[in-house]
Amino acid sequence: MKKTKMSRRDFMKAGLLTTAAAALGPVAFKPTGLWAATPNLKGPIKVGYQAVLSGTLAGYGAFHNMGVILATEEINAAGGIAGVKLEVEFRDSTLAAPEAIKNARYFVDSWGADFLGGIDSSGQALALAPVMAELDRVLMVTHAATEKLTEEHVFKKGIKQVFRICTPTYQDSNAAAFVAKDLPVKTWSTISPKYEYGYTCWEMFKNTLTKFRSDVSFIADSWAPFGTTDFRAHINTILDAKPQGFYSTEWAGELISMVKQANQAGFFEKVKHVMFPVGAAMDVLEGCGPELPDNVWISGRYFFLYPDDRRNNDWVARFRKRWDHYPAYVSETAYSTFYAFKKAVEESGSKDTAKVIQALEGMTFESPAGKRVFRKEDHQAMYNVPWGLTVSNPKYPFKVMGKQIVIPAGECFNRPPFEGPGTKPPF
Amino acid sequence: MLQSIVHVCLAGLSAGMFIWLVASGLTLIFGVLRVLNFAHGSFYMLGAYFCYTFLRFMGENFWLGLLVGPLCVCAAGFAMERFFLRYVYHLALPYQLLLTFAFVLLFDDLVKIFWGAGSIGSPAAPGLSGSISVLGRNFPVYSLFIIGVGPLIAVAMWVFLERTWLGCIIRAASSDREMASAIGVRVPALYTGVFMFGTWLGAIGGGLAVPYVGLLTPGMGETIIIDAFVVAVIGGMGSLKGAFLGALVIGLLSSFGTRFIPTFDMFLTFILMAVILVWRPQGLFGEST
Repeated sequence: MKKTKMSRRDFMKAGLLTTAAAALGPVAFKPTGLWAATPNLKGPIKVGYQAVLSGTLAGYGAFHNMGVILATEEINAAGGIAGVKLEVEFRDSTLAAPEAIKNARYFVDSWGADFLGGIDSSGQALALAPVMAELDRVLMVTHAATEKLTEEHVFKKGIKQVFRICTPTYQDSNAAAFVAKDLPVKTWSTISPKYEYGYTCWEMFKNTLTKFRSDVSFIADSWAPFGTTDFRAHINTILDAKPQGFYSTEWAGELISMVKQANQAGFFEKVKHVMFPVGAAMDVLEGCGPELPDNVWISGRYFFLYPDDRRNNDWVARFRKRWDHYPAYVSETAYSTFYAFKKAVEESGSKDTAKVIQALEGMTFESPAGKRVFRKEDHQAMYNVPWGLTVSNPKYPFKVMGKQIVIPAGECFNRPPFEGPGTKPPF
Repeated sequence: MLQSIVHVCLAGLSAGMFIWLVASGLTLIFGVLRVLNFAHGSFYMLGAYFCYTFLRFMGENFWLGLLVGPLCVCAAGFAMERFFLRYVYHLALPYQLLLTFAFVLLFDDLVKIFWGAGSIGSPAAPGLSGSISVLGRNFPVYSLFIIGVGPLIAVAMWVFLERTWLGCIIRAASSDREMASAIGVRVPALYTGVFMFGTWLGAIGGGLAVPYVGLLTPGMGETIIIDAFVVAVIGGMGSLKGAFLGALVIGLLSSFGTRFIPTFDMFLTFILMAVILVWRPQGLFGEST
């Protein structure tokens, strides 16, 4: 009968071998690739995302969610972030500031979120910024556009936890002024939202355009409260003033209603040069359909036909395959948010807030919208979105951009320190 | 200037008549059933969605959609009254408000489930999509149509309530429920009928909104219900005459305000409501209680 009991000598041998294997192991089986530096990361990585899912703008939340889900599925299918699984919870922000704060506290305090993303309204973003400093988690803003978020809260007050991945009001007004300066228009008018966003954009548009042209005047403005469905009284105000140009930061459903009602009133035959800074949003293009006239200037925070490169076109194809829909701009900013977090975590080797902030500042990364760089001083993502003229295209059941003009973000975004000469375009 | 004022008036009239379409059903239900129906805005929304869906199914025929859509919403109104509201008539007003508000949330989510959360751009009404020149400026034909439909509904309701046997019974039941019941009126069935009729009015408002607003969104009822409530308060809760005049006043006031005193255009409406609440709490045509 063979001796089955392990002798003391055998035991020593085995022990030595095990020790040697353990010592050699990390060398022999060293992780390679991007997460090489992060063997100690404890998963999962949790991202709390909030956007509006109720009320008249609920469609925006749905579009955010498509980007969020696609990014989560793709990242987890490819091994997660630094080898760790990505987990996302999506909540309704209802567009109200108190709800946004409540959600953020829930995400961090109860659910244990490592990062936060989303936020549609400027009011919510401004209210949430100080809370982020207290909660000490990175918040990636994907839709709210007010420049005060990055100029005042991040740059001046030093709330380093807040970043913004979408274009801010600079795109809507400064870039618009770059386009408007070459139009044969001397008198401008607006119907815009009767709240912060509308006022700020019109002021910025006027200031920047006046620097280019001394011969323009701004002869009529009419302000529509949030929730306006009947724009006919506002349209009258503009027609009375007989302007040559019309600029409007109305957005989403209200822009659709306004375009249709303006069309019925023969507005676009009277006013030939029209600019809609957020007219290139998917819901607006689809909602207006053929009723959006040709030769209207539109822009947005991303447009699915720009840039016309492989990365973007592949992404649009994947998005359509997953959702049977063209991506809205919030789908792109939501999607790219997760890749920004992924790169920052993998580069810093940590999900610790301070280290991730350090990695994000000045970080360059590729996204469907093109190359983005997070500006170190104010945490604003620098990337280009075109302005374009609407045109019918038999390939699409809605208007798309024909002729495009790209004003580089470096040229039209305000620059730190945001006060004094040389901080506002033209530079 | 004349052109401007005429167009401001027209825009105000169409806006006012549009609010009236929604406020009429709200007022009728409150006047007879004494229920403040928050979900009335939801009937407006459902009316719009059903009308849109039927017009898509029936060869883009808006008028057929307008006929069939609101009838489907009546079924929802029937279910809501028969199986839920009926059991809270005897409770205090806050309970009724809570119940109808629950239906607002329920209907919003149902719309999101069946039609999606995104907004839907809706087509113009066939035959009424153009515009005609009024003093050299285009005015949409469909807005003129709304200006015409409003008074038509008002007159029809007046004739129905004041000049028909059924209208007489409804008025009797609304002024004294017990007495009407005692002389053999089947009050519960009558209430269900009135509620369905109010629902139908809200849904017709929604159907007519399909070309007027040009947009369907979940939650679209919540924006219009505020205006309808303001109108009902100004006119006197439960008074159809008051609601009609209130709607006209609000429509014209907001149109003139937007054009001539834009800084205060929202303020005007609500200051009027506040003044009326202080000076005449029962509203312009409300019965003092």
